[in-house]
Amino acid sequence: MLAYAVRRAGLAIAITAVALTILIAMIQLIPGDPAAVLLGPLASQEMRESFRVQMGLDQPAIVQMTRFFGRVLRGDLGTDVLTNRPVLDTVLDQLPFTLTLIFFSIGWSALLGIPLGCFSAIRRGTWADSIVGVLSVGAIALPSFVVAIYSLLFFSVMLGWFPTIGAGEPGKPLDQLHHLVLPSLAVGLGWVGYLARMVRASMLEVLSENHIRMARAFGLRESVITFRYALKIAIIPTVVLLGIGVGHMISGAVFAEIVFARPGVGRLIFDSLATRNYPVVMGAVMVTTIFYVLSTLCADLIAASLDPRVRANL
Amino acid sequence: MFKLQMTRRSVLASMAAAGLSAGFYPKASLSQDGKVLRVRAYSDIQNLDPAFRKSSPEDDVMRNIFPGLATMKPGDAWQWELDSATKLEQVDPTHIEFTLIDGLVWSDGHGPVTAEDVKFSFERMIDPALDSPYKGDWAALDHVEVQDEKSGVIVLKEPFPPLWNVGLVFGSGRIVSKKAVEAAGGKFDTKPPAQCGRYSIKEWLPKQRLVLVRNPEWPGQPGAFEEIHVIPIEDEKTAELGLEAGDLDYTWVAVSSIPRYRETPPKGGKIIVKPSLAYVWLGMNQEKAPFDKLEVRRAVQHAIDVPTVLEAAYFGAAEPATGLIAPGLLGHREKNIYGYDPDKARDLLKQAGLANGFDCTLDILNKAERVSAAQALQANLADVGINVEIRQHDSGTFWSIGDQKSGDTWKTIQLLMQRFSMQPDPSFATEWFTPEQIGVWNWERWNSPEFGELNAKAKVETDNAKRNEMYIKMQDLMEESGSYVFLTHEAVGVGYRDAVEPALLPNGTPIFYGFKPAG
Repeated sequence: MLAYAVRRAGLAIAITAVALTILIAMIQLIPGDPAAVLLGPLASQEMRESFRVQMGLDQPAIVQMTRFFGRVLRGDLGTDVLTNRPVLDTVLDQLPFTLTLIFFSIGWSALLGIPLGCFSAIRRGTWADSIVGVLSVGAIALPSFVVAIYSLLFFSVMLGWFPTIGAGEPGKPLDQLHHLVLPSLAVGLGWVGYLARMVRASMLEVLSENHIRMARAFGLRESVITFRYALKIAIIPTVVLLGIGVGHMISGAVFAEIVFARPGVGRLIFDSLATRNYPVVMGAVMVTTIFYVLSTLCADLIAASLDPRVRANL
Repeated sequence: MFKLQMTRRSVLASMAAAGLSAGFYPKASLSQDGKVLRVRAYSDIQNLDPAFRKSSPEDDVMRNIFPGLATMKPGDAWQWELDSATKLEQVDPTHIEFTLIDGLVWSDGHGPVTAEDVKFSFERMIDPALDSPYKGDWAALDHVEVQDEKSGVIVLKEPFPPLWNVGLVFGSGRIVSKKAVEAAGGKFDTKPPAQCGRYSIKEWLPKQRLVLVRNPEWPGQPGAFEEIHVIPIEDEKTAELGLEAGDLDYTWVAVSSIPRYRETPPKGGKIIVKPSLAYVWLGMNQEKAPFDKLEVRRAVQHAIDVPTVLEAAYFGAAEPATGLIAPGLLGHREKNIYGYDPDKARDLLKQAGLANGFDCTLDILNKAERVSAAQALQANLADVGINVEIRQHDSGTFWSIGDQKSGDTWKTIQLLMQRFSMQPDPSFATEWFTPEQIGVWNWERWNSPEFGELNAKAKVETDNAKRNEMYIKMQDLMEESGSYVFLTHEAVGVGYRDAVEPALLPNGTPIFYGFKPAG
């Protein structure tokens, strides 16, 4: 198990390095002069030139890449060229908001999606199963920004139940929770459907296995069979999916952060790309890549610890 | 001993109760007890140094935290008024005397605001070592003479009327503490080393809000609100929803939303429409065939039905433009020279040897109203045989496509739709179209030495009537070149809650310290 963890951690580092290399290469291809965009129409040519040097844009891509990785190894993600703040500070200011949104979203979608999947599997072929199926696929099909806009219109503007903008007063957890409801609804709703379908499929597979038939033959209660024996096995692929889902939610969070004007890494990357503030883009993408890779690694390790068959193959 | 009894039923009931309670959670009201004003900024602050500010939300904040000799007066006409001075007087074309009000004190123990601070603040704008992008606002400044602690004279190299409409009254005219800024290394970013205004910055939470708190040491009229929360919201639609839901007290709304709000104003709020200073035009690159022929450019001018284009893009909320300079400003032109006449356009194309029409490209920024306008332009031009391919760009790409130093895309531009904004002085609008600006901001690559000469002369002309004529002549030259079709100045939709009485410049720019609770 330890060797497996070390191997996966090594792979995680390699994935991060490859992702960042691709990112730097892609940045070279994006049209638009960062100096012109960032400094505005009144900047002199001298200012633009000095800015290009400051950003390292006068250097070949390979040099930029080497410098970036060198800095990262020293724990320095560079400087935000607009505010002159360290990029690490800028990203760390925003990261907690995105993490809170993601974990809250995945949390409520798992709490609802997993039981719905079980319910649907147990009542396979009934009208209840059909309704859950239709609702699940509908939830998957709804883009998060559509959910965001309509939830704002309905719950905030029409009913006035929830705030429309921001992340709440610092130091007031209830207010922050209040501000979290609609964004997490927008980010997590699709995952409710996704998890329900996934759990249903896994459950149906497990419920048809011999040991479940054996349990039924022993006369165990259906709830015990479902939750103690079947779900324990059926949940394993879902755990892996949740790990990947946490990473995927970062992209869903971008829309929610923009629509709800919430602080967060997604909005930071979006704004920084629009202004060609590349040090922030690279720093923020690096942090989210690491986060994505770590969440996938954790999911793999949890799956290995839960499933003896996976452990046996390590 | 107490034992927690948890059953499935009790857990479900608790969860349902928790969910419902969110609905009854008291919503943070706007202007709580009339103490807090919540306003939207279209971007977060990036730099609060007057010499290096990046965008107007920073100007809006700086006006509250730094003193100035003069400022623009809220209302419907562009007029300046004294700010932190008891006297500001042009004693001759190159000398302006000033006296600061008593009792102005810098924060953080940096002492009183003095004439030395004024000298430092204005002279640093033209300091070559600092290389401020706003040095043009003070281009005619020679030096500032300090007479005593509170008084001095601004000495100009030559007469410079734009100083009264731009340099003195906006961000470039804000005064900073010499002692504090020098101690900070000569410039600063988002943390001003010393403040002295009606408000001061209490906290800045990036991407969340900037909180201004009333300055108890301000010697003049205090601001009406205890705190002003400036909330960065990039998305206009989100801001509109924020206003409708009562989470914002003031915001600009999208031009395309104005007709909807005219029909149904937001509950508990108002929408007013202000004339914008911006100018939008269709440009033609004179160096790119077939637009190197005057007949072709003129044909395009005759092919465009501007009101139809504006109806498509702004749903009737914006009026056609007659030049660069908006109504109400010196230099505004009453009418265009070349109007909509598709038959004439077809004749001109025939004269240019393009009777069968031709294909060309139109570069635009990917904003909704720009895309709609481009589609209407495309239809107008198709009517005379010109087939237009619309090329949309994000802002990062668009704002450098015509810049010669940023690559070769400038060589591919044929038609382009542009929007510039300006300060209330005509020189601010015309300076981008001079021969020196070719390949910088003059993307039509129109080369008119006569225009450049007039632009230089108009900047130093002190007779307003003559200045007015010069700017009208300059816009005539632009239109006669065939490279420009003036489209609109747009409009500014301003939304605010009934509980608030806003203080706005003629173009809707907010003067936060002047906002008051209504009634």
